Amino acid sequence: MSDTMNIEDYLAQGGVLTAPGNVPARYRGELMRLMSSFVDSELAASAGFASSINFAPGIRERIAASRITLEKADHAERVLAVMGDFGTDTGRYQTQHDWAARVDRDTDLGATRREGDMRLSVFHYPINGWTDAVVMNVLQGLATGVQMQELTRISYAPLAEVFREIAPREARHAELGLKGLTRIVESDAGRAQAQTSIAYWRPRVAAGFGVANSARYQTQARLGIRRTPNETLLARWEQLTNEHLAALGL
Amino acid sequence: MARFLPLKVTDVRRETRDAVVVTLAPRDEDRALFDFTQGQYLTFRRDFDGEELRRSYSICAGVDDGCLQVGIKRVDGGAFSTWANENLAPGDEIEAMPPMGKFSLPLDPDAARHYVGFAAGSGITPVLSIVKTVLRREPRSRFTLVYANRQISSIMFREELEDLKNLYLGRFSVLHVLESEAQEIDLFTGRIDADKMTQLFQRWIDPTSVDAAFICGPEPMMLTVAQSLRDHGLRDDQIRFELFASSQPGRAKARPVSKATEAGEGTQATVTLDGATRSFTMPREGQTILDAAIASNMDAPYSCKAGVCSTCRCKVLEGEVEMAVNHALEDYEVRAGYVLSCQSYPLTDRVVVTYDE
Repeated sequence: MSDTMNIEDYLAQGGVLTAPGNVPARYRGELMRLMSSFVDSELAASAGFASSINFAPGIRERIAASRITLEKADHAERVLAVMGDFGTDTGRYQTQHDWAARVDRDTDLGATRREGDMRLSVFHYPINGWTDAVVMNVLQGLATGVQMQELTRISYAPLAEVFREIAPREARHAELGLKGLTRIVESDAGRAQAQTSIAYWRPRVAAGFGVANSARYQTQARLGIRRTPNETLLARWEQLTNEHLAALGL
Repeated sequence: MARFLPLKVTDVRRETRDAVVVTLAPRDEDRALFDFTQGQYLTFRRDFDGEELRRSYSICAGVDDGCLQVGIKRVDGGAFSTWANENLAPGDEIEAMPPMGKFSLPLDPDAARHYVGFAAGSGITPVLSIVKTVLRREPRSRFTLVYANRQISSIMFREELEDLKNLYLGRFSVLHVLESEAQEIDLFTGRIDADKMTQLFQRWIDPTSVDAAFICGPEPMMLTVAQSLRDHGLRDDQIRFELFASSQPGRAKARPVSKATEAGEGTQATVTLDGATRSFTMPREGQTILDAAIASNMDAPYSCKAGVCSTCRCKVLEGEVEMAVNHALEDYEVRAGYVLSCQSYPLTDRVVVTYDE
């Protein structure tokens, strides 16, 4: 078995890469971009949830929000370590941006990332209370779950392994959110507040799936970094969200 | 940032006609840094006529062997592997980074697992490390190794594998598949293909008994084995890969001698991305190569834009640029012509860069 194969053909057929040394240049660029988007999003999510801890109405909710804050930072650290294998100065990277910075609540960013860091646009918006934090966590948590199915199959094996470790904990964050939302909708006032927040967050979370027929997706798919088009992932999330919200009468 | 440390060569053993096993010892103060996990590799560096080459070789020792050992098979035209096979001798010193890689599963002394390994040629090196380690650290686990080679004389660690079979009687079995040597059983003659894999699972290995699989070899073998494992019910998280890429970059090409800085208004920039090349004029000052490429509607990769992450790395093929900040690229990458495009300003009136190399 000493025959050789073009690395692009290998990737197109579902091949797996295992070390920075066997990664082609363009693959490297796309992989790094994806990892930094994940790291920045997790750090921004963690920073956002940090302030939500003080919105928590009780101890159990406080613990849930603290746990999400802690674990999202931990997930960022694990993926940043993989970037470090490619040369990223990880110490400098984590202090590069103000992860808690937010735009005004009524700004409309669409799907565009802001100059500075690569977090998904949804993580630029501020959370304005406990119900808002829970709703955002439910909607974005379900979106992360859909994205995770994609990320755990990424063709760079060391990263796929990290995502497989992270996935169940991210799923748990969404479950904590659904539990919190169940409690909130027990009162009419809570239900009304939740509905307001859903209207606010839903389009912003949806924007994170990117555009349909994306050229970037084509590039990433060719390299085995992605497998499912943006529009398919978005549709999956829409369906999942509808099911969960309907179960809560929302 | 990667750090190279000196290792002393304490033994060089000829394993086959074109492969050596090199035993290495770190300095006392570096000993802890070279503790390794089974299946990891070492990255070496050496200067060849003023050009730095880096090569990674898997550790073939088990974690309890008490030594650091790598197997190096000579590759046709490979400067590093040829040098290691022909010139390396006890007493020499060689620089390496501490062990890296995650080609392993966590050990569990109470586990009673069935592991299978698929190795081709020198792909045996990390698999041997795993075999030795799990058989010793997991006394109730067993390991089945499928090992592909061209012929008997090219089998690395043949005797050592036989010894392991005797040492761990009933817990370790090896199936040799030889490409160009007939064996008693047809299944073991030829190359590992989908059909052979299916027969293996029908007659020799019960796929439902397999807890985890390790694959190490060149691209086509990785694809074939992985697909067959999936077809026989293994999940992705049960399959561990270590690719021995056939197309490791060769000797770094020297960068063209840069022209002297020339005065002038703008720079003619030529940028290649995904095989497409675009030329445009950009200002000599105030705009980076990355920003200029993006302004020309090229979807160049970037992230931090602060010279920290290295997502925007590209290679200068012609002309000269200057980086304002570089926290990510190492000297040898810079010498080979790589720059961080988010930090690079043109110095010459013509600059040619590529994101594809």
